[in-house]
Amino acid sequence: MKEISIYIHIPFCKSKCSYCNFVSFVNCENYFEEYVQSLIKEIKLFSKECKNTIVKTIYVGGGTPSILKAESIANILNVIYANYNIDDNAEITVEANPNSLTYEKVKIWVDAKVNRISIGLQAKSNKLLKLLNRPHNYNDFKNAIQQIKRAGITNISTDILIGLPRQKWLNINRTINKLIKLKVNHISAYGLILEPETKLYKQVESGELKIPNDDKSVKFYQKTRKKLEKNGYFCYEISNFAKIGYESKHNLNYWARGEFIGFGVAAYSFYNGMHWENTTSLSEYLKNEFKKLNIEKETEKTAKEEFIMLALRTTNGLDISKYNQIFKTDFKKEYSKQLNKLINNNTVKIENEFLKVIKTEITNLIIEEFF
Amino acid sequence: MNDRQKYIRNFCIVAHIDHGKSTLADRLIEATGTMQSRDLTNQVLDSMELERERGITIKLTPTRMKYNLDGQEYILNLIDTPGHVDFTYEVSRSLAACEGAILIVDAGQGVEAQTLANAYLALDNHLEILPVINKIDLPSADPEKAKKEIEDVIGIPAMHAPCISAKEGINIDSVLKAIIKEFPAPRGNEDAPLKCLIFDSYYDNFKGAICLVRVFDGKVKVGDRIRFMQGGTEFDVTEVGFFTPSPKATDILQAGDVGYIAASIKKVSDAHVGDTITNALNPAEKALAGYKQVRPVVFSGVFPVDGSKYNELKDALEKLKLNDSALDYQPETSVALGFGFRCGFLGLLHMEVIQERLEREFNLDIITTAPGVSYKVYNTDGTMLEVSNPSNLPPTTEIEHMEEPYVKMNIFTPPEYLGSIMDLCQQRRGVSIDVQYLDDKRVKMVYEIPLNEIIYDFFDSLKSRTRGYASLDYELSDYKTSKLVKLDLMLNGEVCDALSLIVHQDKAYERGRAIAEKLKNVIPRQQFEVPIQATIGGKIIARETVKAVRKDVLAKCYGGDITRKRKLLEKQKEGKKKMRSLGSVEVPSDAFISILKID
Repeated sequence: MKEISIYIHIPFCKSKCSYCNFVSFVNCENYFEEYVQSLIKEIKLFSKECKNTIVKTIYVGGGTPSILKAESIANILNVIYANYNIDDNAEITVEANPNSLTYEKVKIWVDAKVNRISIGLQAKSNKLLKLLNRPHNYNDFKNAIQQIKRAGITNISTDILIGLPRQKWLNINRTINKLIKLKVNHISAYGLILEPETKLYKQVESGELKIPNDDKSVKFYQKTRKKLEKNGYFCYEISNFAKIGYESKHNLNYWARGEFIGFGVAAYSFYNGMHWENTTSLSEYLKNEFKKLNIEKETEKTAKEEFIMLALRTTNGLDISKYNQIFKTDFKKEYSKQLNKLINNNTVKIENEFLKVIKTEITNLIIEEFF
Repeated sequence: MNDRQKYIRNFCIVAHIDHGKSTLADRLIEATGTMQSRDLTNQVLDSMELERERGITIKLTPTRMKYNLDGQEYILNLIDTPGHVDFTYEVSRSLAACEGAILIVDAGQGVEAQTLANAYLALDNHLEILPVINKIDLPSADPEKAKKEIEDVIGIPAMHAPCISAKEGINIDSVLKAIIKEFPAPRGNEDAPLKCLIFDSYYDNFKGAICLVRVFDGKVKVGDRIRFMQGGTEFDVTEVGFFTPSPKATDILQAGDVGYIAASIKKVSDAHVGDTITNALNPAEKALAGYKQVRPVVFSGVFPVDGSKYNELKDALEKLKLNDSALDYQPETSVALGFGFRCGFLGLLHMEVIQERLEREFNLDIITTAPGVSYKVYNTDGTMLEVSNPSNLPPTTEIEHMEEPYVKMNIFTPPEYLGSIMDLCQQRRGVSIDVQYLDDKRVKMVYEIPLNEIIYDFFDSLKSRTRGYASLDYELSDYKTSKLVKLDLMLNGEVCDALSLIVHQDKAYERGRAIAEKLKNVIPRQQFEVPIQATIGGKIIARETVKAVRKDVLAKCYGGDITRKRKLLEKQKEGKKKMRSLGSVEVPSDAFISILKID
C-alpha cells in the first residue's frame, strides 16, 4: 500500500502577522462552520482516489487552526479516519497560536487522536511580537505550553524566526533558552523571507524598519544551530531541530518527495505524479467548487530536480542508492562533473552512499549545480 | 538650365537633436499629400525600430514630394540627415546632394551645439540656408530671440525666417513656399557624362546594394553600364527610381534628380558613401569632390556569451556589414572570453546600435568589452604600431612613446554651468582653447580633449551637471603624445585580459580603484571568496573582495513550496547561463561594459 500524508488548511486568523503571505483571512468567524462542511465534503469526495493508500501523517495547518472550535477539528479528523486507511502510529499534528489555546480545546483534540502540536512563538520579546502584529505575548505562549502538556501531549514543536527587524543575537539566545527550559522537543528556526506585498516588506522598503543583513542572519543561524545542538537538538534539516525521536514525520515525507494530499483553500497536493494547488478563492471553495490550479505533471527532469533539492536540505543527505533505484540510473556517473567540482570545493561529501552538504548555508547554490 | 530642373528643389533639414527635424519632415510629407496623415506612423522617416525608440535618425530616406505653387507643380526632394556626431561624414555627403538646407531652431532653446555644427557643415557645402523657428506653440517660445541668436552666432539673416509649430502643423505652407523661393534649382547638364553622388546605401535582399544618389550631370537608366569612380568597380543598372517615401521604379534619372540605383551590387561596401557613379562607356573626367574613406574611431571586443555561438555571431556581423560599410570587424582571441571579434565603430552611438541589433535582431547574447580608441605606439626599434586592443600593447620596455587621438569639442551652455563644465573637462584631461560669451545667456566653450576620455560617459556627465542644458559636438583633430599605461584586472589571482584598459598614467590609480570597487558590486557572490586586484605593470594598486554567498536556504520548505522553489532555482540557473566563467569565477556579461560607468 502506498504511504501518503494529508494536509488540511485552515485559512483563518485573528489578525494578520506583518511578515505573512500565506492565504489566510481575518474577521471571517461567520464562515467557520461552512468552511468545515466544505472541507468534509472535499475530503470525502477525494477518498475514492485513495483506495490503496495508507495515511502516515496528518497535519492541520494554516492560518490558525486553533481559532476553530475544538469540535470542528475533531469532526474533520474523524471524517478522515472514517474514509481513509490510517496507520496505527500516524503522526497527527495541529498548528496553534498561543492565544487561542485552552486545556479544554487540547483535550478534545487529544480525544480525536491528535498527538503533536506545533505552536508559533517566533520571538520571545513582547516588543518584537507587537511589532510583527502577533496576537499574543510571551506569557500566553508559556501558558499554552503548560496546557498542552497537561492535556498529555509531549510532542511539541515551536517556530521561531531569524532575521527579524531590530533582532540581535541576544534576543534569539533568550528565546532559545526559554524553549530549552520549557522542554519543547522540536524547534523550527526559519530565516525570515521578506515577501512582497506583506506589511513588513513595505516597512523595510520605506526604511521604517531595518532587518539584519545576510551576513548577520547567517551568523545568527549558525549560532542558533550550535546552541541547539549543544543542548541535544539534532539539526535534521536545514531549519529544523529535534530531540531524537521527535522529528516531524510529516515534513520528512515532504523532503523525501513522498506523496501528499492537501484539502482546503490554497492547499497543495502531490499525488500520482501530479502537482496541483486548490483554489485560493474562499467564496469559490465555500460553494464546493473544488477547482485545481497550476496542475503540473511531473517529468523525469522535474522529479530528479525535486528529489535532489529536497534531499540535500536534510542532514542525512541524498540517498544515492534510492535515487538510482527510482530513476534507474547511476547518480555518480550522471553528475560526475558537478560532483567533482563540488567535492573539490569542499562544499559536499559522499558518506556511506549518501551525498551530504557541508556548507549548508549555500545549499541552494549547490542544488542549482544539478539542475 | 532647362525647364525641367527649374521646378526641382533638393534640400535637407538640419537641426540640433529634439528641435523637431523628423516632425517637420512628417508635416511636409503630409502637407504635400505625398502620404495621408493616417498612413504616417509619426515620423515616417525614422524607419528602424531602434531609431524610433531613441528618437534619433540614423538611416536616411530621401523623399520626393510634389507641391503646387501658383499653378506650377514643383518636385521637392527632401534628404533627411542623421542627427548624431558619429555620422558627420554621412551628413556632409547628404548636404552635398542638396542646394538648400532648412535649419530648424527651437524657439525656446535657441542655437545649440549641433545647430552650429550643422550650419557650418551646410555653409561648407555652399548650401543656401533657410532658418525656420520651430515650436512657437510652447509657452517658453521666444522666436525673436531665436532669430537674433541665429544672426549673431551663425551670421546668417533670419528676420524672415518662418515661425512654425511642426507639431501643431502651424505655418507649414510658409516653409514650402520659402523652399521654392529661397533655394536655387539644380543646374546640371543633362547631356554631359553621368555624375552621381552616392549619399547613402542600403542592402535589399532581392536587389542587392541600393545606392541613394543625387544626379549632378547626365542621365542614368536601366541597362546602363555604370562605374564607381573611387571603387573602380562596374555594374549593369537593373533599376532606377525614387522614394515616396516607399521606393517607386521609374524609367530614367536625370541631372538634378534624387533617387536610387540598383545594379545587382553584392555588398554595400562596394557602394561607398561619397563615391561618384559615372557611365562606364562615357565616363566623366573627374569624380565629385569630398570623398573620404570612413574609418572607425571607437573599438571594442564583441564575444558570444556562449562560446559555441561564435559562428552565429560571425554570420550576424557579416549581415550587418552588408548594410553598414562603416562597421569594421576582425577576429580576436581573448584568454578570458575565447573567440570573438574586435569591432570598429564610428562612435559610441554606432557601437550601441550594432550591439543592440546583434541582440535584438539576431537573438545573440554578447559580451562587449570596454570601448577604446586606437593608439599609435612608437617602439624603441623605430617601428610604429596601431593598437586598439589593450592586450596587444607591447611590453613597456619596448615602447618609446605613445600617441592618442584628440578631438576638438564645442560645448554650448548657459553661463552658470561654466565652472562645473570646466571642472569636468579638466578631469578628463581637456585643454581649453576658447570661451566665448555669445550673449548673456549662452557661452560657447572650445576644448581639445582626448577622445578616450569622452567616448563613454562624458555626454551623460555633461547632461547631469548642466541639467541637460549644455549641448556638445566634436570632430577628430589629431594624435598627440601621451603618457599611457596598461591597467590590468585580476580575478581570483588571474589576469582577465578582457578587462584590461589603456589609461593615462595620472589617472591609473584612481581608475584602478574605482573599477575594482565596481567589479565587486557587479560580480555576484560565489561559492568561495573572489579577490579582485587592479595592477599596473604587475604592481597591485587596488584590491577588493567578493564575499562568498552566505544565506539562501534558511527559509521554510513545506509541501507547497516544492514546485515553487524548484522553479525559482531553475530560473536562477537560467540566469547563470548568461554569465561567463572566467577561470572559476562567474561574471555577468554586462560587467565588462559596466566598469566604465564610474563617475
